[in-house]
Order: sequence, then structure tokens, then C-alpha cells
Amino acid sequence: MSYKIPMGPYHPGLEEPYKLDMICEGETVKDAELHIGFNFRNIEHLAETRNFIQVNALMERVCGICSFIHTLTLCQAMEPLAGVEAPPRAKYIRVIMAELERLHSHVLWAGIAAKLMGFKTMFMTCFEIREKVMDILAAISGNRVNYSMNRVGGVNRDIEDPGAILKMVEQLEKEMVRTVIPIFTRSSTALSRCTGVGVLTHEKAISSAVVGPIARASGIPQDIRKAAPYAAYAELDFDVPVQPAGDVKARLLVRALEIMESCKLIRQALQQLPPGEIDTGDDRKIRFTTGTSTSRVEAPRGEVIYSVSFKENQRNPARVHVRTPTFANMPAVRWMVQGARLADTPLIQASIDPCYSCTDR
Amino acid sequence: MTDLASIPQKLGIDAQFEARSGAQWLNVAGVGIRTLAETMNAVGARFVTITAYQLPKDEGFRLEYHWDLNGTLLGFTYDLAERKIDSIFDICPALDWIEREIHEQYIIEFEGRPYEPLLLRADATPGVNLREEAAK
Repeated sequence: MSYKIPMGPYHPGLEEPYKLDMICEGETVKDAELHIGFNFRNIEHLAETRNFIQVNALMERVCGICSFIHTLTLCQAMEPLAGVEAPPRAKYIRVIMAELERLHSHVLWAGIAAKLMGFKTMFMTCFEIREKVMDILAAISGNRVNYSMNRVGGVNRDIEDPGAILKMVEQLEKEMVRTVIPIFTRSSTALSRCTGVGVLTHEKAISSAVVGPIARASGIPQDIRKAAPYAAYAELDFDVPVQPAGDVKARLLVRALEIMESCKLIRQALQQLPPGEIDTGDDRKIRFTTGTSTSRVEAPRGEVIYSVSFKENQRNPARVHVRTPTFANMPAVRWMVQGARLADTPLIQASIDPCYSCTDR
Repeated sequence: MTDLASIPQKLGIDAQFEARSGAQWLNVAGVGIRTLAETMNAVGARFVTITAYQLPKDEGFRLEYHWDLNGTLLGFTYDLAERKIDSIFDICPALDWIEREIHEQYIIEFEGRPYEPLLLRADATPGVNLREEAAK
């Protein structure tokens, strides 16, 4: 006889609200229904009632973890319609901020995953390291969460002393190599909870069109930074970690390896930071032409796409549409939990690093 | 790896892709959305999203479908005089949530599929144009 177990919308396994109704037989999950919308704010349509500067501030609040990525994608979409392009130095600063954001997002996820595994010491270690990433973000931008760094045509703040930031990043990298990476790649406690759990097969990953670390952990070598480089990524050397197994362990390994790649990217970008301006000038002089423009960025959770539409000389966008990575990844949780033990489902849903603030908008 | 130029031929049209504002756009006038979806599956393209636009006055709606082919973003536009278009959810399951979201936001019918339960606003009344609500 089957029965339904509701998880959420409020559950200790996840701070954000969503609901997973699991149809179980004994301790085995046979199927699941997903319900979202508990954080719905109608942000896309609110954006149509604001000017482009206000929209930048609004879209920064789509997500508290990848707030920089949202404004980066938005500004990259608006810039062609405004006839401006960020200067080279601004493009490098955008890469540094984006990779720092990936670092703090991945370490945050590692902490939450550790907590769900019952590995509380690791949770504390991850959050301590994440604080240090936040310190670097605050040193650059002056803020810990909503950085207000991006603007149409560049960035708002320069990195005046790249050497000082580089020292902080190198110290951080040492701590990652000493603690987080070995535990997540070799610890039997971590790996025993993750191996063979929550499998998303390569075929299902393709048909579900999942993105980011979820796709890469199912053997799909997909990364917008490589496939369609933006900002300064084309000038930097990095690898895209791919794992074929499609289980929680593969997602863990992909993110652990991506932490190292992000450190590599930040180090290169700081060393190669070109001189020059960081923006194209006064916002008041910006004029938009009629048209629609799209931009894609590889956020910590995968591809984000913005479609922005303006009418000639209007300061308010006619339309802003954002497709976030969790919106693409979340439906695949249904396939991951089928056949899983009920006790593993909090870890499985957490393994996609879901963001419902992003998903609901 | 599929050549972009081969896609119009597979769709049986003369138009060519045109690079514009971050995507390669193809005029697919006369090509049904289901034919397009089947072709995208056949060439191994990954579905990305649909962007819906409410056009001024009573001109209807526009849907922009996006797929990714080896890192290139493809764009296809469908203008809807009436609020309906064939669903391609059965051909491309990844569209499930975005078709439901557009249905809830603009009351556009994706014909041939169920909608319940609502995606954005569980237990709310369906058929409210959320764009018009935001403008109030």
C-alpha cells in the first residue's frame, strides 16, 4: 500500500519554502510531486514599472546568494541596447566578483550538505571559511550580500589593491585545500552517504535540460563560461569538472573541484587586471534603442538567462524575463528521488543546491 | 556537431539565421511549434526558456522560444493573435514549468496538456493576468 509523505513547505532540511509530496511504499519513494511558488513576488512585472537603475537594484534581490550574477546578466543584456560595452578592467572585476560568489555559494552548499549528512563539525568549518569569502567580497564592494557592483557599462567600484585581495584569496585557497576538499573527496563518512544516492542518469539529465553542476555531475560537459564566454572568461585558463555517475557524490565532487577552479580564475584575473576605466560614464546619458536582448551567465547553480526589451528612449524596460538555474533543475528532483530511501530525500533535494527565491522570483 | 545552416533545411524553409542581441534568430513563419520542437530534439539542442510578451493595444502576444545548440543561443518567435498555441511538453518535457508559468501569467493556453496544480500560486484562482495586476 502506498502513502504520501509531505516534506515542506517548511522543513528543517531546507531554510527556503517549497513542498515535496512523496508517494512511498514502505521506506522507498516511488514518485514525488513538487510544489513551488511560496516565495512568488511577481518581480518580472514589477521591473516593468521601474527605470533601468531601479531594475538593477530590484533584480539584485531576486536571490541573496547569487545577487551579483543577476545584475551581471541583466547589465550584459541591457548594454547592447544602450550601445555601451564595459571596459576591460570592469570585465575582469566582474569575473573576480562572479567567482568569489561561486566560492561562497559552493562553500555554503557544502556546509548545508554536511549538516544533512549529520557531519556537524564540517558544517561549522564550511561556514567559517565562507565568512572569509564574504570578508573578501565586503573588502571589494563594501557589502556582504547585495554588492551593488554592476551598472550598465561597467562596475561601480574598482579593486584598488589587487595584491591585498590576492593574499586573502591565497590564504583562503590554502584552507580549502587543507580542510574542505579532502573531506568531501576522500572522507568515508561523507562519501558513504552520497555514493549511488539520488541518481540522475545522463539520458534523464539531457531530456530534463538540467544545467550547471547538476548537468556536469551527469556527464554533460556544459558551462556557459566555456561555451559562450562573457566578461573576461575567454582570456582566462580554467577547466570544467565533469563526473559521469549522476549521484549525490558526483555533485559533491563537481562542486569541490569547481572551488579549486574558481580560486585559479580569481588568481589569474587579479594578476592580469588591466589598467583603465571601470565604467562608461554618466547613467543619465544612457539612451536605449528599441529591441530585445538576451544574456547568459554561468551562475553557481548553472545557466541564468535574461531577456530584456526596451522601447526607444524609454528608461523603463518593456519586459524583463529571467530563467534561473533552479527553475531548470528542480523538476529533475522527481527522477532523483524515485527509488530512494525516504531518509535520503533531504540530502537528495539539497544536492541540487536549490534556490526557491530565484525559482519563484 | 550540427551546422546551424542545416536547420532551415530540416524545417523546409528558405530563411537563414541572423545574429542579433545575444542570439541567432530564425524566422520560422509557417513552421508549427511542434515541428520546430521535434527538429530541435533531432539536432540535439537543449531547451532554455520561453519569454512571453504582451503586445501593445489588442495586438495579442509574442512567445520567444530559446534553445541552446553547442553554446549558441537560438531564438524563434511566434506571434499569437489568439491566446493559444500547441503545447510541446510531450516532445520536450523540460518545458513543463515554463508553459505552466506563462499560462498563469498571461492566460495563454498551451493546448493538449494539463495545468494543475498551479505552479506559482497554489490554491489561487487561475486566469489572473499577473502583468496587469502588477501595473495596478
